[in-house]
Amino acid sequence: MSAPAFAAVRPVITAWSAVSPFGIGHQSYVDGVHAGRSTAAPLDKQQWAGPDEQAHLVPSFTNKEVLGRKGTRSMDRVTGLAVSTIGQVLHDAEGNRVVETGADSALVLGTTMGSVQSVMDFTRDSFTGELPFHVDPARMPNSVMNCAAGQCAIWHQLQGPNTTLAGGGTAGLLAMDYARRLLNHNRARKVLVGAAEEYSPARAWLHRHSGGATVLGEGCAVLLVEPLAHVEAGREPLAEVLAIQSRCYLEGDPRAALEASVRSALSSADVQPGDVWAAVGSAAGAKGEDERATLRAIFGDSTVDRVPAAELGDTGAASSALQIATVLSVAERDAEAAGKLALVSAVDPHGTVACALLRLAG
Amino acid sequence: MNRVVLTGFGVVSSIGVGAEEFAAGLRAGRSGARPISLFDTTGFEHANGCEVVGFDPSPWLRVFEPSMVGRASQFSIAAARMAVADAGLDEAELAHKRGLVTVGTTDGEAFDLDWLVETEVNEGPEKMDEAASRRVPAHLLSMAIARELKLANVSAYTIATACSAGNYSIGDGFDAVRSGEVEFALCGGADAMCRKTFAGFYRLGTIAPEFCQPFDADRLGILTGEGAGVLVLESLESAQARGARIYAEILGYGLNCDAYHQVAPNQSSIGRCMKLALDDAGVKPHEVDLISAHGTGTKANDITETRAIREVYGDQPPRTISVKSMLGHTMGAASALGTIACALAITHGFVPPTINHRSTDPECQIDCVPNESVPADLNVVQNNGLAFGGNNASVILGKFVEGETR
Repeated sequence: MSAPAFAAVRPVITAWSAVSPFGIGHQSYVDGVHAGRSTAAPLDKQQWAGPDEQAHLVPSFTNKEVLGRKGTRSMDRVTGLAVSTIGQVLHDAEGNRVVETGADSALVLGTTMGSVQSVMDFTRDSFTGELPFHVDPARMPNSVMNCAAGQCAIWHQLQGPNTTLAGGGTAGLLAMDYARRLLNHNRARKVLVGAAEEYSPARAWLHRHSGGATVLGEGCAVLLVEPLAHVEAGREPLAEVLAIQSRCYLEGDPRAALEASVRSALSSADVQPGDVWAAVGSAAGAKGEDERATLRAIFGDSTVDRVPAAELGDTGAASSALQIATVLSVAERDAEAAGKLALVSAVDPHGTVACALLRLAG
Repeated sequence: MNRVVLTGFGVVSSIGVGAEEFAAGLRAGRSGARPISLFDTTGFEHANGCEVVGFDPSPWLRVFEPSMVGRASQFSIAAARMAVADAGLDEAELAHKRGLVTVGTTDGEAFDLDWLVETEVNEGPEKMDEAASRRVPAHLLSMAIARELKLANVSAYTIATACSAGNYSIGDGFDAVRSGEVEFALCGGADAMCRKTFAGFYRLGTIAPEFCQPFDADRLGILTGEGAGVLVLESLESAQARGARIYAEILGYGLNCDAYHQVAPNQSSIGRCMKLALDDAGVKPHEVDLISAHGTGTKANDITETRAIREVYGDQPPRTISVKSMLGHTMGAASALGTIACALAITHGFVPPTINHRSTDPECQIDCVPNESVPADLNVVQNNGLAFGGNNASVILGKFVEGETR
């Protein structure tokens, strides 16, 4: 295979935010990571009729409260999470717009299957209504997986490529890889990259019936990624994305595939495991234990223990995007992190693994 | 950068399975419309659709039992396996190469979600089927291909940009092969017909009673359809080294988002998407011989899309057809099947017709090649995919001629 005859850009993360069980916005997330508290809470069964007793919810998050009444009447929860997270990235703490958007701005949003609650609610009306087409037309777009990304585009004027990437547990890192490709081929000047997952009774039932044993969480993290050579005035790189790798595991055990992915990411950046300052996994439950065991075997305990575990529950598609935010949160308050390498990995229970190697700014 | 060519196609559609049958169906102007049998249509005054009749997944499955994968994943596995064989590739050999597997979809396994909801309504959520619950995550459409074909050294994910997802996926594969980061890509789209989407479009008043008549003055809307299209993308160098048949070359593509309305199409944004694709391909509008339109057969789409085409191409736009007249709207598979149709048209030298056509809507000023295919020497062809959420994607293909460079 001939070598690429183009200069790949060096993608850098220049801003990020999260809406998570730690609360809304960048600062809440950084505080939450450092406080190290668990976010599990008993569910109000009136509001969340389902199989679960507890979950990791974004505290008191409703679309109406966070985004206002206008334009939120038919909005579902995952769309609200994504729209509000991007709003946080694009504005400063005083609410001033600090990132311009338009035709050159892309969005890559990871998901598992959009809002499965919306899909099932919409379909239910077809079975329970007087006639099978007595469904709510205003909610039809919600029943399609690209609803959140499309609404984010409308709310925030993102007219570039607008990609919904279904990748389950690895969605955040695969979205980053996809975004890197968009930048390399000059299809956008900046990309908002992230992933979102909502908590819902429908998701909880499917999780239960699929044999899922983890406590569910929810949230969204979005990172602004630009080519190093074109970072706009007023922003500084927080980290450079050096490499992203992904593979599939064909039997039940993800460890060999994850190790191959990690080694391939390290070698493509020409670094050794000992050069890596922090290594963080994303999966919850048994797959998460496999993941951490693999990282420990490659990097040793001190590198894996560097970043405290963010106790957010099983945040599904959002997990690896949130873990990048976790690493950046630690780097923000730890002077030692400057210039160091961090690896974030992810394991999806259905068969994919991925990892991203970052160089923290400084 | 590598030139990227298409060397294998897998097709599951209502008018034919496999590239050869599909091409014959397109040339003959075959219609996939028939009464829907996949779900109970009691209570709908009319319920035609374009089903894949009599699809048996078992010949295509070697790893999974049919009950382990949903209908859309079964389609995507079958189409992928066909595409690899059609490209003359050996699955075992492919496993040694670095690859990308991306299937686009609108609804994923919503066919399964339909009956999970039905169970919930009739018997309670505790009774929902476990196997079906495990089948529904959307990334399984692509994962299932990787697992069936034993491809470990691939990135596998599903692109869920609704009805332009097939083109989104093909564009992603194009970039990945072009830069050499992967040696092959299996791209395309898959969807299974479901009650949810039928009921939704029916409620919006956009389901045609009998058949789909894009660009016709009397058109009454879409027919929902289903199927899958998977394409093998590789570098020209790789295709030539193994003496592969080349259907067509991908010259470029464009993506954008209206950021305007979740459902209503936006003319200037669709025009901008086509311009992005032409620029990326290095092609001038007058060089395009044929446009395979999104062409759903709704009032709004066909008027907006043809106006956008005239905005970009001027008063003499290329012939503009809609394969949805034959296939119905296959949702996430639509633009993948459209791109395959374009490549087959180039290879076999014909323009697929827009069937069910009586008289062209004066507001859709294009030549839609009514009812009968015509022989044509096609050099450059464009395929449009538009979607809810304002997700537009256009792909440009060119005839590959040995020894000629673009």
